[in-house]
Amino acid sequence: MNSTADIILTDLTKIFHIGVFKRKVGVEKLSLSIPRGEIIGLLGANGSGKSTTLKMILGFLRPTSGRIQICGRDAGTRSSRELIGYLPENPRFQKFLKGRDVLSYFGKLNGMGGSVLSKRVDELLDWVGLGKAGEERTQGYSKGMTQRLAIAQSLLKRPKILIFDEPMSGLDPLGRIEIRNLIQRIHSELSDTTIFFTTHILSDVEALCSTVALLKKGKLELYCPIADLLTKDSENYSVTVSALPANLREGILKGNTSTETPLGVTIQVSGTDLLMNQLTELRKAGARIVSITSKRQGLEEALFSDKISIQGLAAGSVA
Amino acid sequence: MKIALIAWIAVRELLYEKAFYVLLSFALASLVFSLLLGQMTYAEQAKLTLDFMLGCTHLSMVLFSVFMGISLFQREMTSGSISMVLSKPISRSTFLIGKYLGQMAMQTVLTFAMGLLTMGVVTSYGATVSYVAIAQTIVLIACEIGVLTSLTYLFAVNTGAITSAILTISLFCVGHMRGVVSDNLKTGGELLMWGFVRAAIPDFEIFNMKQLASYGQSIPWNEMGWASLYAGLCIVFYLAIASLCFERKDILT
Repeated sequence: MNSTADIILTDLTKIFHIGVFKRKVGVEKLSLSIPRGEIIGLLGANGSGKSTTLKMILGFLRPTSGRIQICGRDAGTRSSRELIGYLPENPRFQKFLKGRDVLSYFGKLNGMGGSVLSKRVDELLDWVGLGKAGEERTQGYSKGMTQRLAIAQSLLKRPKILIFDEPMSGLDPLGRIEIRNLIQRIHSELSDTTIFFTTHILSDVEALCSTVALLKKGKLELYCPIADLLTKDSENYSVTVSALPANLREGILKGNTSTETPLGVTIQVSGTDLLMNQLTELRKAGARIVSITSKRQGLEEALFSDKISIQGLAAGSVA
Repeated sequence: MKIALIAWIAVRELLYEKAFYVLLSFALASLVFSLLLGQMTYAEQAKLTLDFMLGCTHLSMVLFSVFMGISLFQREMTSGSISMVLSKPISRSTFLIGKYLGQMAMQTVLTFAMGLLTMGVVTSYGATVSYVAIAQTIVLIACEIGVLTSLTYLFAVNTGAITSAILTISLFCVGHMRGVVSDNLKTGGELLMWGFVRAAIPDFEIFNMKQLASYGQSIPWNEMGWASLYAGLCIVFYLAIASLCFERKDILT
C-alpha cells in the first residue's frame, strides 16, 4: 500500500452469476496501487475484466470480495464519487439538450450552481473546442463532439481521478488525435489528477501512459512503467539488405536468425557492437543496406502473447 | 434539489418521446370516440358520454403509466446514459424517485386536462352533472396511476422491458379483480394462499368510483381520504422496495 496512491484495489474479485448454476469470473484477486498524478492505461482483450474493474471503482458493480479505496474513501459511496470524473465508452446525452444544458445538468448533479457553474461551463466548452456548438442540441453532434462534451462533463468539478473507458473507440484518426491531445492537456494542466483509462488502441497507450496494467482473464498479468516495457530488448535489431553476393547470401540464410523477404534478406542482430561489425562486413561485401530497425518489445506482443516473456516485469506496485 | 432536476429532465424527455404523442393521440381519439358513442344513444347521452370519457381517461393513463415508465427507465439502463448520471455524487434512489416524480407530474397534468375536457363536454349537453364527483373521480384515477407507476418502476428495476410490462399489467388486472377471485375460492388452502397474494397486490378497486360520478353522486370525503392515504402508502412501499433493489443492482451498461 502506498500513502500517495489515489486508487487502491485490494484482492478485488467479481464473480457474475449467469442463471442459477453458471458463474463467470470477471476479475480475480486484483490488487493495484495507482499513484497520484499518473496516466495509467488498463489493457486487455475483450472480456479480460477492464470495464468490470472501472465499474467497480465507480460503484456500478458490487465486488464479490476485496476492497477499493479512492483517496482513502470507500469506492461506490457518494463521497468517493465527488472525486471522480467519468467518461463512459459510448457517452449518450438527452438529444433535446444543448451542449451547454448538458454541462449545466451534470454540474448541478455535482452540487455546483449559480455563476460558478455558468463560468465553468463556458470555460469547459471553450476548452474542448465546443464554444459555439454548445448552443446546439446534442442530437446533431458527431461522435468526436459527443466525446469532447463527455470529457468536458467529466472535468466539471476538477476531479482528483479521471476514469475514461475506451476514450478513443469509434473515432476516426483525426478524432483520436484530438482526444489524445485533450488527455495530454488535462495531464499537463491538472498534474495532480490521476487518469485511469482502458483502451484497445496500443499506440494511444504508448503515447499517453506513464504506467500500464495488463489484465488477462480477470487477472493482473503485468503492471509496470511503460518505458520498461518498450525499452526492453531495444538492443535487438533487424537489418534488411539487398544485392547480397551469392556466396554470402547462402551463408547468411543457413543461420536461423535470417529470413528472405521481398526486399532482400532480413538479419536479426543482438547488441550494438555486433550490429556495427555486421554492417561493416556487409558493406565490404558490396551489399546494399535497405533498412535497420530496433526491434523493441511491443505492447501488442505483450498483450497477445500467451505469456509475458519479459523477465522482471511481473505484476506489482510501481508506486 | 437534485430530485427536482432529474424530474424536470424526465418531463422534457417525455415531451421529446414519440411514444408520448402516440399515447396522447390515443387518449384524445378515445375521448372523441366516447363523444360519438354518446351521440348514438337514445337517452342519457350525458351520462353515457361521461361514463365512456372517464373510462377512456383511465385506460389512457394506465397505458401511459406502464409504457412511458418502462421507456423512461429502461432506455437509460440500456443506452448506458445512466452511468454518467450515477457517476456523480447522487444516490440511485434520488435518480429513481426523480424519474418517478417527473413522470407523475406529466401524468397528473394529463389526467386533469382530460378531466377538464370531460367536464366541458358533458356541460355542453346541458345535463345536470356533479362536477365535484367528476373531480373526485379524476383525483382517484391520478392516485391509482401513481400506485401503478410505482409498481412499474419496481418491475423495471428488476426485469427487462417486456417482462415489466406483462407483470405490471397482470397485477393491475388482478388488483381490479380481487373481489371476484375471493368469491370463487372455497378451500382453506386456496384462501390461505390468496391471502398471501392479496397482501402484496394493491387493491385497485378502491380507486374505481367512476360509476358514482356517472350517476352524479359524489364520493364521501372519508372514502376519498382513505383511498388517497392507501395510494400514498402503496407508492411509498413499492418505491422503497424499488430503491432498495436498485441500490443493490449491478449496472452493466
